[in-house]
Amino acid sequence: MRDQRRKDAVWRFLTYAFVITMVVVMMVPLYWMLVAATLPQEQFLQFPPRLIPGTAFLDNFAALQERLDFVRTIRNSVFIAVVYTLLSLVLCSMGGFAFAKYEFKYKEPIFYTILATLVLPIQLLVIPLFLLMAQLDWTNTFRAIILPWAANPIGIFLMRQNMKSIPDALLESARMDGATEFQIFYRIALPTMRSSLAALAIILFLFQWDLFLYPLVILESADMYTIPIGLAQLTGFQRIYYDQIMVAATLAIVPMVVLFLVLQKQFVSGILAGSLKE
Amino acid sequence: MSGINITELDKVYDSGTENVVAVESLSVDIDHGEFLVLVGPSGCGKSTTLRCLAGLEDATAGTIRFDGEDVTEYRASERDVAMVFQNYALYPHMTVRGNIGFGLKLSTKLTGDEIEAKVEDVAEMLGIRELLDEKPKALSGGQQQRVALGRAIVREPSVFLMDEPLSNLDAKLRSEMRTELQELQADLDVTTVYVTHDQTEAMAMGDRIAVMDGGVLQQVGSPEEVYRSPVNRFVADFIGSPSINLLTADVEDGTLAGPGGFAYELDGSEPVDGHERVSVGVRPEDIEVVESGRNAADVTVVEPMGNENFLYMEIGGHELTARVSPTVRPAEGSQVAFDFDEAALYLFDVETGDALKTKTDSVDSAVVGTTQN
Repeated sequence: MRDQRRKDAVWRFLTYAFVITMVVVMMVPLYWMLVAATLPQEQFLQFPPRLIPGTAFLDNFAALQERLDFVRTIRNSVFIAVVYTLLSLVLCSMGGFAFAKYEFKYKEPIFYTILATLVLPIQLLVIPLFLLMAQLDWTNTFRAIILPWAANPIGIFLMRQNMKSIPDALLESARMDGATEFQIFYRIALPTMRSSLAALAIILFLFQWDLFLYPLVILESADMYTIPIGLAQLTGFQRIYYDQIMVAATLAIVPMVVLFLVLQKQFVSGILAGSLKE
Repeated sequence: MSGINITELDKVYDSGTENVVAVESLSVDIDHGEFLVLVGPSGCGKSTTLRCLAGLEDATAGTIRFDGEDVTEYRASERDVAMVFQNYALYPHMTVRGNIGFGLKLSTKLTGDEIEAKVEDVAEMLGIRELLDEKPKALSGGQQQRVALGRAIVREPSVFLMDEPLSNLDAKLRSEMRTELQELQADLDVTTVYVTHDQTEAMAMGDRIAVMDGGVLQQVGSPEEVYRSPVNRFVADFIGSPSINLLTADVEDGTLAGPGGFAYELDGSEPVDGHERVSVGVRPEDIEVVESGRNAADVTVVEPMGNENFLYMEIGGHELTARVSPTVRPAEGSQVAFDFDEAALYLFDVETGDALKTKTDSVDSAVVGTTQN
């Protein structure tokens, strides 16, 4: 009895120790980024490092803005990610709905072909895509960044899996009520998929937000840069502008945090969708 | 309101390698305002038939007419039918109000106010008015059932189709809703096709019953007709609870000789002339326990139901069920003599199962008065 209790206590201690360690491991770089963004470059490099926030955030930001017009860079990234996410949500949910709920010729082969494209890494696609965009004369445009990834195989797969859980009777009922196939899709299927859509929105937004190599190849002028490319420009040949990088990185995570907080409730239930009997 | 004519309906599913015949040359005429129950074991094609009527499945061959108009090629939304699904299929993200009004919003030109008024009327009729702003998740099974009905009724369709709408309810609620549905159907006077696997439900609700097996329509008739004069052994066995006692007997000079020394002398041997073996059927309620008689069986279980007793007996390895008065209560394990009227006897061809003789005992005409319309 007593042994058991001691064992439980030890086990609990180890669990907490592990959790706290993981939290520290994850939070320290984040905290350091926030602090460093408020320090002038000299203090950033001193040892032992200063761990209390300083007052140089606005100065650092002003320097960053002067070098790069970072506000415009954020605006570019937000625009690309938002348009991409909305467009891709529409395409992926329509594709997923078709694969989940309709019968058509070669349905399975088409679906598995789409799925198979997942094994192709972006690095492999960058050059052929660049050549294609060059032929279309689309280089240095946002549409060249958005369109190639719009029909996202992960998104189609995710929506297909979740839409399979919609009872056929629900769709048939709407059909009997006089709904067209498109009305069935957007008035019945989509509203029941809200949490899956929220989860997918975060995945898609994050994918586009983090995209680096491909925009680096496509976008040529500084006024078109997205955040990851802007960040890369701060690493000069003679000097690395740590203070500005930290300010930029801090600002770069803000939209992600906002998006996640807004969609958090739906995101969690979307991830759990189908795992519990309702 | 409209009558339905189904002519030579075939439905074949092509699964790539083989064809599965779900419904085979089914023909039936359903009158204006009639309540027809399609009944049969699972996989008999009754739901497929209903789905063909609804327009949710294409007929492979044959025609379907509503009020003389060929609707075989029409889509579900063009047929002016409403369907109630087994699991209700309520739209989970809409309120009860939204669920009931959805069809009107899509398929009519009514204004929002007019739709609202109709929804309120139907909700009032079904006693769910105070639930109009709830989501389906918050409702009990019986309430969801009513919403599903309301959704069908509000559109004032010419045909109601119901696919086992009561099977998800508990027994008490089910029998309540059964009565309510019948009253509702009679009030609205809308032609209704109702699918169930429950023969009790079929007997209780149908103006006529259509019994199906293996994709083939076996018999259409009033509940009494199907019960008393089944066309074959399958129908006799399927309709009636507890089900009919069936055993195989040899025919010897107008006498039926079955297992365990069972013997029954026929007064009129015409039905069995030319047959060496026949299937013998006796309804449990027609078996009488007698003081002494030619046939005897071992009592295995006695189930007292209060108003009657069920006797489960065995004769030559065959089980027999008898429904007797509650005063008849033989000890389990004892042997009892039993008898039955020849008029209550059913005889079927052993091979084909076709009926050779069905009940000929007289029934009070007041009981037989079946027609409601």
